[in-house]
Amino acid sequence: MSVAETERVIVVEPPPDTRGPSSPISATALWLGIAAITAVLGGTLLLQVNYAVSDRVLTPGCVELRLTPDITGALNVCNMVDALRSSAQTLLLYGGIALGIAAMVLGWGIAKRMDSFRRREQAVTGAILGVQAVVIALVILAFRNGRPDLFAKNFLNFTVLGEYFPGPFFAAMKNTIVLAFVGEAGGVLVGLFLALLALSKRKAARAPARAYINFFRGTPLIWQLLTAYFVLLLGFGIVPSSLLVAMGVFALNTGAYAAEVFRAGIQSIERGQMEAARSLGMTYLQAMRFAIVPQAVRRVIPPLMNEFVILIKDTALIIVLGLLASQYELFQWARGGQSDTFNATFFTATALGYLAVTLPLIRLVNAVEKRLQSGLVGIAGAGG
Amino acid sequence: MRLTRKRIVIAAAVAMFTLAFAACAGNENDAGETGPTAATGPTATGATGETGVPTFTTLTEGVLTVGSCLDYPPFETVKDGVEVGFDVELTEEIASRLGLEVEWVRADFDTIFTAVAGGQFDMVAAASTITEEREQTVDFSDPYFNSRQALVVNTGETPDLATTDDLVDGDVVGVQRGTTGAAWAKDNLVPNGIELQTFTSATDGLRALEGGAMTAFIADEPFVAEAIADLPSLSVVQGIDTDEVYGLAFSPENPELRDAANGALEEIIADGTYVTIYEKWFPGAPIPPEFQGA
Repeated sequence: MSVAETERVIVVEPPPDTRGPSSPISATALWLGIAAITAVLGGTLLLQVNYAVSDRVLTPGCVELRLTPDITGALNVCNMVDALRSSAQTLLLYGGIALGIAAMVLGWGIAKRMDSFRRREQAVTGAILGVQAVVIALVILAFRNGRPDLFAKNFLNFTVLGEYFPGPFFAAMKNTIVLAFVGEAGGVLVGLFLALLALSKRKAARAPARAYINFFRGTPLIWQLLTAYFVLLLGFGIVPSSLLVAMGVFALNTGAYAAEVFRAGIQSIERGQMEAARSLGMTYLQAMRFAIVPQAVRRVIPPLMNEFVILIKDTALIIVLGLLASQYELFQWARGGQSDTFNATFFTATALGYLAVTLPLIRLVNAVEKRLQSGLVGIAGAGG
Repeated sequence: MRLTRKRIVIAAAVAMFTLAFAACAGNENDAGETGPTAATGPTATGATGETGVPTFTTLTEGVLTVGSCLDYPPFETVKDGVEVGFDVELTEEIASRLGLEVEWVRADFDTIFTAVAGGQFDMVAAASTITEEREQTVDFSDPYFNSRQALVVNTGETPDLATTDDLVDGDVVGVQRGTTGAAWAKDNLVPNGIELQTFTSATDGLRALEGGAMTAFIADEPFVAEAIADLPSLSVVQGIDTDEVYGLAFSPENPELRDAANGALEEIIADGTYVTIYEKWFPGAPIPPEFQGA
């Protein structure tokens, strides 16, 4: 029985390590680099958290900076500034710089003499981390010698968000996403139709498509928004909803760019594919339907998603249309908040809001691109 | 290319906004801000006023040193090397009635009140709103300008709308972001269920009103008077007092000069000189009743 069990065990041999052994001296360079960046970044962050959560009151130093109790969020700003100017922070910064320089000197000093791949990589990585630590530490040093209190009061004073967060903020975020999503979806439909026209053999069919594409690519989106609104209102006598106008214009505008992406994607399919399909007895349309378009779609998905990421940020341009409070998207939310409170922290919050939407999307685009594994994907992307 | 172009547009919008925010008569809380500002030294010399006005002193005998940011048309600006504007003309009228020559000193608005309180100039004429915070630092003259808001309606669509009291729940009123009118509407109209449609450009808002996109629009009165000249279907039906009045600022240590200036201002309003100056710099704008003279 024990014999039978032994037989069933499959021994998986790890692949041979071709990187070679480590060594104490190269490992030291690496750890110096890691220690330097940890001290500067991690230490600063820990210190901020520590000051933020501990029970503090406004210090005389803060009152001297005119962070008095009647200023909204003065205590939080005071905590940030005090943490930044504490002796612990000084120690972290100068310690980080010393460690970083040590890592650079040691790492680059020994890198050439290291005899295995692993040792060389450890030495050089340590040195690079050292450079990063020194640069960041110098920036923080310069920042805290300036007026971090004024900056924090105006840009990092999240207390002022008050009633504007979270309700109106997430409503605005929803509007941003809806605007971009409807604009992109409509744009893909418009773009596909235009691309088919633009690829036609007949000039009469190509000409209007080209004119459309060139017009929408050649005029500013902000102008298109404003003009569309007033053409509807004054020209056609329709009282339009600003959000609907914006969705329509985003779709028309994205359509022009998407058309170029589709056209490039279809044209990037080798001529032989069409010839092979036709020689099998397919008609032109059948060849397009079953051979060309399925391959092209794979290539245009990443650039179209890229367009989507761009459009999310462009939604901010609806600023030129008159908006009701319920129609605010992220950027308008920030402008409204700043107008009422005279504080720019709203813009910091808005940037975080955009990142919360765009970062996952950017990751998704990268993942899709990797999955499609097509060397031509990058070329097909005419979006940039 | 596309990305860059749009970023520039957004950046420009943000920059414009920041500039508006830093404008001369902005709402900065400046009381108590310290720092050297103007070029004149604090050389106090005594001077006696002309006959008929109370005795007062100025920094330099026979000269009224006036601090101003000089970049806020139509109130004060420099054209071809000469100071011009509504505040400039009014100040020079006051000075001449007190027998003084005006010397203009360009100053930073952020610190202008501390500077006049500290004796760097005799007076500040910078389209500055009288606020409680500022009164802690300086003494203001009587109001010399009333920054009223105008209720604009489309007479073709709403012939019976005469005041903001006629607005009802569900009406949409246009405003321009960041203006006194927007703040006033938020405090006084929104609680009654009136919705605000916020525009970046007041001109766009008025055009939308002409097209019937909303019930009414609220904006600065002098601006509206000029803007709707070519929009005959629009008219101003009400001037809204928002308690935003401008005053000349003096050092609290020189009440005699302020009283003298108040006296001169009173004369200027009473004999109609005010109306002449007002009509020159705000053509077509209705003159608030308190400044219309006898």
